[in-house]
Amino acid sequence: MESYRPAVGTPVEELDTPCLLVDVEALEHNYRFVAETYKDSVCKMRAHIKNTKSPIVAHLQIREGGTVGGVCTAKVAEAEVMVEGGIDDILIPNQIVTEDKITRLCSVAERAKVSVAIDSADNVRTLSRIASQRGVSIGVVIEVDTSMGRGGIRAKEKGVELAKLSHSLPGIDFKGVMSHQTLDGSPDRETRFIWGRRYIQQCLDVKDAIEAEGIPVEVVSSGETFTIDVAATIPGVTEVEGGTYALMSHNFDYMDDLRYAAKILCTVVSTPREGTVVADVGTRALASPGGVMPFVEYMPHLTPEALHEEHIVFRCDGGPMPEVGDKLTLISGQQDMLTNRWDQYVAVRDGAVEAVWDITARGCHN
Amino acid sequence: MERPIFKAPGTPVEELDTPAFVIDLEALDRNIETVHSFFRAQDSGLRPHVEAHRCPAIASMQLASEGTVGGVSVNTVGLAEHFANTGVRDIYIANPIVTKVKIERLCRLARRASIRVHIDNVRNAEALSEAALALGVNLDAVVGIDTGLHVCGVQPGAEAAELAKAIDGMDGLEFVGFSTYEGRKASYDDAQLQDGTREVASALVETKGLAEESGLNVSVLSAGGTHNYEMMGVVPGITEVCAGAYALLDSRYAAQKPDLEPAARVMATVIGRPEPGLAITDTGQKAAGADFGLAYLDAGFDASLKSLSAEHGSLALIDDEAERLKMGDHVWYIPSDIGTTSNLFDYMHAVRDGRLEAVWQITGRGLYR
Repeated sequence: MESYRPAVGTPVEELDTPCLLVDVEALEHNYRFVAETYKDSVCKMRAHIKNTKSPIVAHLQIREGGTVGGVCTAKVAEAEVMVEGGIDDILIPNQIVTEDKITRLCSVAERAKVSVAIDSADNVRTLSRIASQRGVSIGVVIEVDTSMGRGGIRAKEKGVELAKLSHSLPGIDFKGVMSHQTLDGSPDRETRFIWGRRYIQQCLDVKDAIEAEGIPVEVVSSGETFTIDVAATIPGVTEVEGGTYALMSHNFDYMDDLRYAAKILCTVVSTPREGTVVADVGTRALASPGGVMPFVEYMPHLTPEALHEEHIVFRCDGGPMPEVGDKLTLISGQQDMLTNRWDQYVAVRDGAVEAVWDITARGCHN
Repeated sequence: MERPIFKAPGTPVEELDTPAFVIDLEALDRNIETVHSFFRAQDSGLRPHVEAHRCPAIASMQLASEGTVGGVSVNTVGLAEHFANTGVRDIYIANPIVTKVKIERLCRLARRASIRVHIDNVRNAEALSEAALALGVNLDAVVGIDTGLHVCGVQPGAEAAELAKAIDGMDGLEFVGFSTYEGRKASYDDAQLQDGTREVASALVETKGLAEESGLNVSVLSAGGTHNYEMMGVVPGITEVCAGAYALLDSRYAAQKPDLEPAARVMATVIGRPEPGLAITDTGQKAAGADFGLAYLDAGFDASLKSLSAEHGSLALIDDEAERLKMGDHVWYIPSDIGTTSNLFDYMHAVRDGRLEAVWQITGRGLYR
């Protein structure tokens, strides 16, 4: 396991590399943006900590404001880490189906408000049975598939049926509906609003159908980084599950209001040929699903050409050639996967270390 | 850190908490025996590249099986320190180590283990020499040669021989030979592998000849990997092969190396059947890895892994048997790149005859520095 704890005050250029940095000012900026966006709206942020995996980072958004006071986690193990870190309101927008894990979820529910997403009758019956046995109550939201083609119900009628069932079962507290949306490429603001509204409306349609049966729907948890500002304008949405917005990566570069807070510091270790620069970070530490490449901050003349296990190779063209030993900062193309490769954030402000934060939920796959 | 529910040794594998990184001990034993027995019959030796699994338990099995040179290779100083701490006494860092902090760490490590480092730059050699001299240690130096991967390394022939000559005179450094890694060559067929191996080996052997002409003693020529160990290992003059993936294998090598078998798989649970033809699992990119393509779905029915998102897998179900897959059932992935997957879990569940035999910690995970 990685363990790196540079002294507070260490200048960034003296850090050992590769190193995952958090630019604290950029993080604070992103958190303020969310607090401002949701200041006067019914809709609030419920930050998805699968992207950040660290209780302190989750607490910073909650303190800044604009939130429901709790977080989302993708996994039961992540929920445990958050509750141990003092968070007391968790939504798992994912299906938890095995007896082992449901029992573990019930243990978390002894110490925090816990809700989970369902998309099948069998699952909610098992949740009810185990929660009743353990004397706890588990909140449920019905997952609606709007655009992911993954989990979630496909038809409103199924949502109504599951809501009725959930409403009737012991140990289950029916809360409402949830959905995740996806949009390819780099959409402009208008496109984001059109498609964001259209997708989220599908989730609201299920809410309306359930309410038409006389079952109250308290929670509509829908929205993510690309709909942070969209969801705030849609009546009925109560919370948004933003993840990448906190630390950011360049696949969301179209979100102009957000800043890059996660950066990878690396060192040039070889310049084997004129115009070729090799640095000491590769796919192991960066993650490169689908071949996604980072870019070098402030050095547009360095173009990433290849990623190997422990190296990145750049072509240097139209600017000064870095020397062996020079440090570069990279911006990731996939923040979620990046964080999952690291055990610490080195938090920096004004070019020096301010704190080291453990990424305690890293690797919490279970 | 990973937090699986631990099950007692003896528990049937199907009862493990998922996603679970599961090692088939019999397949692992057979892979080690296949490759090590090959090297027992050669002049060359195997240097296990332990970055492929980052797990001291497996490194111990490898070093206990004859056919090795008695040491391992790694990519980072952090991994070198870690494996030295677990008792390995001969470590090759197959990368240039250039920063002051890392050079200092490397030289201090050389007090506790025999350290060999890759050098491809004369100024780097000087910095290493200065640090080694200051601490009164000796580092073995190999000149790293680029034979087509185009990452680090100098060109074979005169350039490499000249660097070797320059290093040979430096205090604290002992020039021992030349090293190269030409890459995995996952798409090569046997004939292409043979050709590629011959090309790389002759570049090294020629470079050795040049160095010897100038009076240098060359005791190490290191090249090859899992993809061509049996081709490289028989070339006269090649002294070692740094192979790592052979122990656990992965789906890309499985297609290329029929003499070896996948010994590592990830067990996933079906968490949803939202529509006909589609199953959703609890295992996505964060656990299985997708840096070098999708994992292979190892199922007894007609189905495939359609996509991996962060925490989910989407399976395309083709035949009737696949369609019977229900929530709670297990499916198995063979990772596409064993080094990626080993760097994502903290535990390996070692299984024999379908039952848990041991839980191994992947203590080298995340040691990028």
